Amino acid sequence: MKILIIEDEYALLKTMEDFLLSEKYLVEKAADYHSAMEKAMIYNYDCILLDISLPGGNGLKILDEIKKEGKTGSIIIISAKNSLEDKIIGLDLGADDYLAKPFHLSELNARIKAVLRRKQSDGKLLLALGNLSIDFTQRQICIESKPLKLNRKEFDILTFLATNKNRLVTKEALAEHVWGDNIDLEDNFDFVYWQVKNLRRKLKNSNAKITIENVYGTGYKLTI
Amino acid sequence: MKLVNHLILRITLFFAIVMLFWSAIYFFLQMKEIHDGNDEGLTNLKQEFIAKANKIPGFIEKLEDNTPLNIIIKEIAFEEAGILVENFTTAKIYFATELEEEEVRMLTTAFRCELTGKYYRLQFFTSTVESNDLIKNTLYLLSGLWIALSLTIFIVSKIIIYKANKSFYKLLNELKKFRLDNRQILEFPETNVKEYLQLNQSVKELLEKNIDVFNEQKIFIENTTHELQTPLAIIIAKMEMLIEKYQSDKKITEEISDVLNTLNRMKRLNSNLLLLSKIKNGQFPETSLVDLREIIDLVITDFEDLAAYKEISIEKEGDYYPELEINKDLAYILFSNLIKNAIAHNHQNGKIIIKYASDCITIANSGNKIADKVFSRYQNTAADEKSSGLGLSIVKSIADLYQLKITYIYNTMHIFRINIDQKIKQKRKNG
Repeated sequence: MKILIIEDEYALLKTMEDFLLSEKYLVEKAADYHSAMEKAMIYNYDCILLDISLPGGNGLKILDEIKKEGKTGSIIIISAKNSLEDKIIGLDLGADDYLAKPFHLSELNARIKAVLRRKQSDGKLLLALGNLSIDFTQRQICIESKPLKLNRKEFDILTFLATNKNRLVTKEALAEHVWGDNIDLEDNFDFVYWQVKNLRRKLKNSNAKITIENVYGTGYKLTI
Repeated sequence: MKLVNHLILRITLFFAIVMLFWSAIYFFLQMKEIHDGNDEGLTNLKQEFIAKANKIPGFIEKLEDNTPLNIIIKEIAFEEAGILVENFTTAKIYFATELEEEEVRMLTTAFRCELTGKYYRLQFFTSTVESNDLIKNTLYLLSGLWIALSLTIFIVSKIIIYKANKSFYKLLNELKKFRLDNRQILEFPETNVKEYLQLNQSVKELLEKNIDVFNEQKIFIENTTHELQTPLAIIIAKMEMLIEKYQSDKKITEEISDVLNTLNRMKRLNSNLLLLSKIKNGQFPETSLVDLREIIDLVITDFEDLAAYKEISIEKEGDYYPELEINKDLAYILFSNLIKNAIAHNHQNGKIIIKYASDCITIANSGNKIADKVFSRYQNTAADEKSSGLGLSIVKSIADLYQLKITYIYNTMHIFRINIDQKIKQKRKNG
C-alpha cells in the first residue's frame, strides 16, 4: 500500500512517515504545493494525506486536479483549520475523509484503514482478527460464525482497537474516537474503563481469542 | 437629574432672584415718586397759605374757626419757632369718617405772620397711598408675574433646549444600544449644530477605532489558536510515537502518559478557544428553523451511556415543542454543553430534569452548589480542574449571538433557564 503525505511542517511530516512505515506502508512525502502536485499527478497512491495550507498554493486545488485526472486513490484532508466550510468543500471535491489537527496517530491509522477498506474491490468489508470476523458494513461481529451482540459504543471501541492492533492506544484517543469531542472531562475516563471492562467480559464469555490489555492505566492494546 | 431640567431650574432660579431685587427697587422708586408728587402739592399749598395770610388780615383766625380739613394751625412761641425745621413726614391721622387712622403725607413748618407778628406752627397734610396696601398689591401682582414668567421660561426653554439637543439625545440612545461585538457602527443623528457635528465625528472615530482593535484582537485569538494546532499535532504525534516505543518500560510510559494528558487538555482548551472565537467572529452564519426538542433528544442519546454510567436519570417535562431560527450545529453545541455540564456537576444517582415551558426551557440537575459567576471564562470548580471551563462561556456566546437570555440559579438544584418567549414559534403537541 502506497501513501503520499503532503504536509509542509517537517516535524509532523517526519513523525507521520515514521508511524506509517511502522504500519508497513510505502511512504512518500511532499512538503510544498509544486512537488506535491507533481507527485500526485505522476504516480498513483492508495491514499494521499493532504494538508490544505501549503507554501505555494492551496491543497484543495491539488485535490481538484487529482479528481479531474480521474485518479482513484483515497484522499484524507488534514487541516489545522477544522472549519466546517473547508470540510464541506473538501468532501464535495471528492475527498474521502477530513481529519483536523491535532490528531492522534491511532485515529489517523483508523481513518486510513477505513478509506482503504472502502476501496477494496470485493465490497465486503470484513476483517479477520483471531477467531473474530468484523463486518464493517453490517456493523456485526462473529466469533467462529456465532454473532456477538455488542452495543454501538462497544463495537466502536473494538474496531478502533482492532485497526490499531498490537499498538498502545491511549485512553484519550479511544475516548475521542468513540464519543467524539463531546467527551472532555477527566473523570469520564472511568467511564471509558467501565465500557472496556464490559466489552472484555462479553469477549471472554464468547471465547474470543483476542485480549484487550490495560497498559499501566495509560491506554489499551489489543493482541491476538 | 436631566441636563435640560438642570439647566432650566438654574435659569429659572436666577431669574426669580433677579425679579425679586428688581421688584424691591421698583417698589421703593414708586413710593418715592408718589411722595415727591404729594410733597410738591403740600409745598404749593404752604406758599399759597403764606401769601394769603400775609395779605388778608384775620385770614388765620378765620381759617382756625372753620377748622380746615388738611391744615393744623397752632400758635407757638418765638423760641419754638426758631428751632422748628421744615420737614416732610409720613404720619397717621385719625379720620372720623373712616373710623380709623389713615396714612398721610405731612409738611410741618414754622410761620411768622407779617401782619400780626405772631408765630405759628403749620402742618399741611394730604392722604397718600398706604404703603402696606401698596406692598401687598405689588407683591400679588409681581408674584403673579413671577409665576407666569417662570413657567413660560421653564416651558419655552425646555422645548428649545430639547429641540436643540435632539441629536444629542438620539446619539445618547444609540450609544446605549451600541455593542462592540456587533461590529455595527451606529446611526448618527443629523444635525447642523457645529458642536454636535464634532461630537458625532469624534464618537464615530472613537468607535471605529475600538471596533478595529476589537476585531484585530478577535482575529488574533483565532489565528493564534489556529497556529497552535500544528505544533500541538507535532508534539502529540511525537509523544504517541515515544509511548509506543517505550511501552515495555512502565516508568517512562507513565511519564509520557502524563505529558500526553496535559497536551490533550491543552488541545481541548485550544479547540474550545477556537470555537469560542469562531462563534464570536460570526463564522456560523447559516440558520434554519430548528426543533429544539429534537436537538435536545439527540444530545441526550449521545450522552445516555455516560448518564447511565453515573446512574443519572434524565426526565423530560412539558408538552411544548419549541422551534428556533438558529444554526443547527450551534444549537447542538449549546445544549450538549449544558447537558454535559449537568452530568459532570452531578453526583452518582443524580437527576436531570429538562422542562419545556411556553416561554423557556430549563435544565436542572442535582449537585453541590458552585460559584455564582458560572458564565465567565475559566470558571472552574476545584473538583474538576481537568475540564477546560470554557463550556459555559461557549453556551453564553451562542446565547448572545441569538439574543437568548440564559440565567443560572441554584435552588437545591442547578437550574439553567433559557428564555425563548419572544423568538419562539411554539407548536403544541399534535398541533
